[in-house]
Amino acid sequence: METDGETNQESGKLESLDVPFPSAREASIALRSLSPDREPRKGGITKHLTVAGSTLSRWSADEARILRVSVNSFLDHLKLVLETMEMFGPPVDL
Amino acid sequence: MTVVIGFEGSANKIGIGIIRDGEVLSNPRRTYITPPGQGFMPSDTARHHRAVILTVLKEALEQAGLKPADIDCVAYTKGPGMGAPLVTVALVARTVAQLWGKPLLGVNHCIGHIEMGRLITKANNPTVLYVSGGNTQVIAYSERRYRIFGETIDIAVGNCLDRFARVIKISNDPSPGYNIEQMAKKGSQYVELPYTVKGMDVSFSGILSYIEEAANKMLSSGQCTAEDLCFSLQETVFSMLVEITERAMAHCGSQEVLIVGGVGCNLRLQEMMGVMCQERGAKLFATDERFCIDNGAMIAQAGWEMFRSGQVTELEDSWITQRYRTDEVEVTWRD
Repeated sequence: METDGETNQESGKLESLDVPFPSAREASIALRSLSPDREPRKGGITKHLTVAGSTLSRWSADEARILRVSVNSFLDHLKLVLETMEMFGPPVDL
Repeated sequence: MTVVIGFEGSANKIGIGIIRDGEVLSNPRRTYITPPGQGFMPSDTARHHRAVILTVLKEALEQAGLKPADIDCVAYTKGPGMGAPLVTVALVARTVAQLWGKPLLGVNHCIGHIEMGRLITKANNPTVLYVSGGNTQVIAYSERRYRIFGETIDIAVGNCLDRFARVIKISNDPSPGYNIEQMAKKGSQYVELPYTVKGMDVSFSGILSYIEEAANKMLSSGQCTAEDLCFSLQETVFSMLVEITERAMAHCGSQEVLIVGGVGCNLRLQEMMGVMCQERGAKLFATDERFCIDNGAMIAQAGWEMFRSGQVTELEDSWITQRYRTDEVEVTWRD
């Protein structure tokens, strides 16, 4: 997995985190697994997941420490989804 | 023929089970056990689950002798429970549901316990006592809802027992409650503790504060042993549970009691409930530790019922929730 990010140290913004996938279908599966749950913290964090082709992108903007927690959780969750896809994939034909 | 796989991980147990038309084909489980004196925290528990869940999933399929294509529905715990562990399990359930092209079903954890109890014991329409580390409720079915007749107004009875176990630093292996039960058998002195039944409900946080303080004072002065305190705590809290169960039975005119949840493994609780049932001419039902304690098959069983009555959870609606009342679910599979 490669990640590509820009960070703004002063206000704690992460503009984008791009994750490449082998196919659009697998990027879409990851998106639909990762997007339903709400962020545990009520205020001060916004997370946005989208898929463009076979890349899953994520923006979040906020205080550095809240950002750190949110991004760390996201990466743990992403890793789990990727491992699941590796062990039980490829997706069946619809 | 309907085959459902169920994923459970709302507390420190991670279990995945497969059920085919009322038959449990596999039900592997792992428990995250902390050192004596320590409870389990959400992020550590989630980390434990993440590390083992795919292995447990493989075991569930292998032990059942099935391939993903044989599964009809993927059920998982939507709630209630601890946030991070719930998310971990839901992520895998959602991913495999999509990989395998199967429908997804979010299940209420409490209803999982009830449906497994009904399946295993064949109880007809019991008053249910659901007692675990996270929940304490008296439930009866009426008109498409599992209605909560009585419950704890603060902490669960299992939480009270588990936190007391930490104070006296006994092992959490296999579970603090089990070790309290063994020590209680060796207790000989009854130490009077507060008895807090409030109508149909119960309260345990006051008893916990009291016994934590009593433990510090009485154990150091040698007035009683830790075994005596374990014994006294069990006798007190279990009597309270028997009382509110009996009250619900009287309201409903019920002649059956079903105990579910991890604390339901406790043989002393079963014994005391049995005495009350006998006095009323009622029948007591309970399951063993395979199904009392959180497990995947119970989620699969509730999922089986829900799926066959036409329910499905769309991915966008599959978010987990830490609070999920038992009576929020429409029980479409019963009249």
